[in-house]
Amino acid sequence: MRVSSLFLAITLALGAAGAAAAAPVGPEMARIPGGRYLPLFARGPGSVRVAPFALDRRPVTRGEYLAFVRTRPGWRRDRVRRAFAGPGYLAGWPAADSAGAARELRLPATGVSWFAAKAYCAWRGKRLPTTDEWEFAALASESARDAARDPAFVARLLALYTSRRPRPVGSTFRNVYGVWDLHGLAWEWTLDFNSLMVSDDSRGTAARDHALYCAAGVIGATDARNYPAFLRYGFRAALEGRTTIDGLGFRCAQDL
Amino acid sequence: MGTHLRRASSALLLALAAACGRSPAPQTVPGVLPARAEASDFSVYELDAPWRDQDGRARTLASLAGRVQVVAMVYTHCTHTCPLIVDDLKRMERALPPADRARAGFVLVSLDPSRDTPERLKEWVANARLDRARWTMLTGGEDGVRELAALLGIRYRREAGEELSHSNAYLVLDRGGRIVYRHDGWAGDLDEPLARIHDAAEASAAE
Repeated sequence: MRVSSLFLAITLALGAAGAAAAAPVGPEMARIPGGRYLPLFARGPGSVRVAPFALDRRPVTRGEYLAFVRTRPGWRRDRVRRAFAGPGYLAGWPAADSAGAARELRLPATGVSWFAAKAYCAWRGKRLPTTDEWEFAALASESARDAARDPAFVARLLALYTSRRPRPVGSTFRNVYGVWDLHGLAWEWTLDFNSLMVSDDSRGTAARDHALYCAAGVIGATDARNYPAFLRYGFRAALEGRTTIDGLGFRCAQDL
Repeated sequence: MGTHLRRASSALLLALAAACGRSPAPQTVPGVLPARAEASDFSVYELDAPWRDQDGRARTLASLAGRVQVVAMVYTHCTHTCPLIVDDLKRMERALPPADRARAGFVLVSLDPSRDTPERLKEWVANARLDRARWTMLTGGEDGVRELAALLGIRYRREAGEELSHSNAYLVLDRGGRIVYRHDGWAGDLDEPLARIHDAAEASAAE
């Protein structure tokens, strides 16, 4: 009797402590538990540890980004600092202060640069996810945390990647963490995109040498059959901070 | 299922080849500017993060305006490539005609702000025998460093341990901070950067 009361007291105390330690995370975010994974281009022996974090369940939408632009007019396409975004910034919008008709507001916010995406997340009290965080969350299917080596899952991703077209958020699938659209809707910015594809031999020009990441890159990859992952890394290798691409959007993350 | 996979694979191989053969169609052009290109349509000095120089003074990038600047990103604990980058830039400094040298500066920005304090930079400048009238070393915050690197197209990563991997490049900025030249890898032949520095110095004088 006393043992079970003690047990209950401890459980409640632990629960309360856990709740107090957790950062306030809105319902639009999912908590991703930590774990280990092997990046496609491993940076040394062994897998990488990803600490628990929160991730937006959906990509940031045009409607949400419009609210940002209205509150921070310095990020309108007719006022944005040129250092922060190239000429294609929000090119798909009908006007500087309009993101389109109601149905278009549910499209992912694309045509945004890394600087712009970073600023939006900061405005929301969040940040961009790191590449490791993003890739870790993207291993998941609807039912498994790590489906990256499931040929059927990889085949589904291939089909999604090759059939990209403008669609509202929530159009692809919801993975086991409750996160939508990591695959097949838009490419997504990560915080440390310019930490990728740095040659360990800094005598070279590896970051600019696309050939290194084509044929040779496959040989260096930890899973040569994971074409979707290879596409993502190849895509990120060509990005710069001001880059805007019609199919490139983002979502935000938060520390836990 | 087999046919679908084959079709998907070939579509992917095509996409892959396209992705490998050229950049995805961004509106900005990464990499080396074509010969005699216009300056970039933006100024690096639009970044307003705070920095400190080797004398501990608070600086903004905008405080670099007025001279043609040759910029590289290094760190003082870098024992191999960074000293060689600096040697290349010193070689450029010596090769400049006096009239151009008087209108040029050299900027080294630390990729390692947690260890590269102003005191450490000052020591490094002295050891490398850099002419303080012309050379500026800057240290800032991690976010400012990442933003500047992203704007200059410089990639870097902190490895396990204390090493940083980083791409090896330098850029020439005109008097207003616009990129007029970028070079990846070792400086090699200096004719082109010297010409760009000269043109940028002349352009300022003509304004």
